[in-house]
Amino acid sequence: MAGLAGMTWLFVRLKLSLVRGGLRGDAGRQAGFAFSMVAALLAGLAGFALVSLIRFAPPDIALDLVAVAFAIFAVGWVVVPLTAFGLDETLDPARLALFPLTTRQLATGMLAASATGPWPIASLVALSGGVVALAHGPGGVLLGVPAVVLVFAFCLTASRLVTTGLSGLLRTRRGRDLLAVAAIFVVLLAQVPNLLVNRGLPGDPTRMLASVGEVLRWTPPGLAAHAIADGGLIGVAELIVVAMSVVVLGWLWIAALRHALVRPDASSQGGGSVRRSGRISIGRFLPGGMLGAVVAKELKYAAREPRGRVNWIMALFITVIITLSLRGGDGAAGPGSVIGPACLAAVMIGLQAGNSFGIDGRSLWMNAVAFSTPRDLRTDLAGRHLAMAVIGVPLLVVVSLFAGLVTGHAALALAAAPVAWGVLGVAMGVGAITSVTAPYTYPDRLNAFTGAAPGQGGQAFAASFATMVVTGVLILPIVLPVVFGLTWWAVLAVPYGVAASWAGRRIAAGVGFARLPELLAAVSRPT
Amino acid sequence: MADAVRTQGLFKRFGQQVAVGGVDLVVPRGSFAGLVGPNGAGKTTTLGMVTGLLRPDGGRIEIDGRDVWADPVSVKARIGVLPEGLRLFERLSGRELLTYCGQLRGIPIDEVGRRADELLKVMDLAEAQDKLVVDYSTGMRKKIGLAAALLHNPGVLFLDEPFEGVDPVSANTLTEVLRRYVASGSTVVFSSHVMDLVERLCDWVSVMNRGFVVAQGPLDDVRQGRTLNEAFLDLVGVRGNGEEGLSWLGSPA
Repeated sequence: MAGLAGMTWLFVRLKLSLVRGGLRGDAGRQAGFAFSMVAALLAGLAGFALVSLIRFAPPDIALDLVAVAFAIFAVGWVVVPLTAFGLDETLDPARLALFPLTTRQLATGMLAASATGPWPIASLVALSGGVVALAHGPGGVLLGVPAVVLVFAFCLTASRLVTTGLSGLLRTRRGRDLLAVAAIFVVLLAQVPNLLVNRGLPGDPTRMLASVGEVLRWTPPGLAAHAIADGGLIGVAELIVVAMSVVVLGWLWIAALRHALVRPDASSQGGGSVRRSGRISIGRFLPGGMLGAVVAKELKYAAREPRGRVNWIMALFITVIITLSLRGGDGAAGPGSVIGPACLAAVMIGLQAGNSFGIDGRSLWMNAVAFSTPRDLRTDLAGRHLAMAVIGVPLLVVVSLFAGLVTGHAALALAAAPVAWGVLGVAMGVGAITSVTAPYTYPDRLNAFTGAAPGQGGQAFAASFATMVVTGVLILPIVLPVVFGLTWWAVLAVPYGVAASWAGRRIAAGVGFARLPELLAAVSRPT
Repeated sequence: MADAVRTQGLFKRFGQQVAVGGVDLVVPRGSFAGLVGPNGAGKTTTLGMVTGLLRPDGGRIEIDGRDVWADPVSVKARIGVLPEGLRLFERLSGRELLTYCGQLRGIPIDEVGRRADELLKVMDLAEAQDKLVVDYSTGMRKKIGLAAALLHNPGVLFLDEPFEGVDPVSANTLTEVLRRYVASGSTVVFSSHVMDLVERLCDWVSVMNRGFVVAQGPLDDVRQGRTLNEAFLDLVGVRGNGEEGLSWLGSPA
């Protein structure tokens, strides 16, 4: 099997040179590479220390904790490559389809390649903390080492199986759209335990742990943890079961791989179509001409473009989390506890207007060839703001009511909603100006970890930060009096917001039209 | 009568690299003009600057005698553009895309609908008109892009590589539409690598190489009795004749 070993080594070297590739390129990339290396090292050591510390817990709790830790690693291995799919070219079997490789060569090679690199090594180090945590006596250590290796192999094969199984889906447009939204939910759901801990757990933590441990007991991670703790013949039997599960996963993966290599890419076959008649067309309620056209386009984008959907979901979710966390405080619920979340929601929604043209990206030329005066650009911005208001205004009413009901001051929602509308107006006005002064490209593929094209991360951060700070200052005159009890002041918020967005559009149109080619280039960078 | 397109000393650099080094492009009104040149000759950059999408570092551009950068109002109403790369508003259906472009140009909605119907029919896109553009094939995208560029009946049409990656059936549709359009007195300027196609369609040719126009004029003047391909290879200079190296390539005798 010299060929197999040679091919495996080739894959490992390929992965290593991909990792090393991070060292070339500009200073930013090198800094990123160094950072990721250091982060992997620290994460590995910290993970090892944390898992090892479980040793000081009572034995049955320690067993459950290690099982949970092993399971978290397995889930992490499945989820993370999915959200970052495409970052690592060795992951996509379709790229290797043309090379004369047997499935076995491909399978071992790709498995070895995915075990190579700073992050896999870091998780192997962290996993081996399980031996320290659970092993009692030489039997435990003897079984512990193969147990950790088996859990690691289990993570790898499970991760490979899922990515390969989904790689067909990931290559289709609809699949990617779906996954983009799903990935954000995974990131957001990770916040839920945090929230529960903040609010105080509903039940007894040890009992919860025990029930989780019970569930995990017969899964491969649970079996492996139990084998280390047992250290005897039962442990050996359990490890054999884990090994068999790895073999089954590997076999399933090879089958999926074989299938993925010959299945054609059917991404545009019979794709979705838009219903034109039947429903009442939104166009009927819109003003005609350019303004109506922009509003209609923006509303369609909010519904059809995954990034648009994700932005709205994020804005709402963050608001809900903050509202609920605020409620956990010690009952000092003044007007601020209703108005605060409503205004926060308005700012979160308004932040989307901070890079209005980013979502158009390289299609923006279609507008640029038609816009011949600053007035056209102003109409375009007005259409975008109007579309955002069409969704945002009712949404802010809901958020205000929600915050009012949660804090037990439902009447305050009457003041919170208009203030939030005003804040939205201010955020849009400020956003119009940052949209033309600091535009940046959104990446094509939605990624939970970065919001801009390579090299524009700083600009993206500066743009949203500037929008937030300037908005934060400009909304003080409408927010502060209301928070301090001058409730009727809320009446002034809406005209204030309308005026602010008008002024923002006016300035932005002048500035933006003069630098339309530069604007176009900034949002059309390759990603 | 002014030429449809006339540039003087058009210049553009990206960092250290000069992409367009002083182009004097001329296209008489009513011609079907081909802009040819090897990769990196500056065709796309030139078309970007002529259509107002890319700011030149120097030089003048006139379309129908009006300065593109000084008088965008009258120029932008007169030109239709299909840039390279074909990024369209992907999440609109083909029909919605045309409606959007028409409204952006200030055409009344009923008129937009009528024109869109005819364009979709001629382009053979009537069946796919309610599909999202993101699901279109390359040929369909070029056709919907051309339809969007024609919607406001421009006097001059600029197309960057309109036939690249297009199947023969779609290509035939595209050429028929363009021929009819030129026959009515309008002007088409398109860039291409395919010499046969340029030779078959065009009556005016501009040859670019390394950021300059190296030959320009009526088709017959440029090719001077040769095929356009031969004339082109002479003009740009053949780089390597494929004789050196590669001794191992080919079936053994």
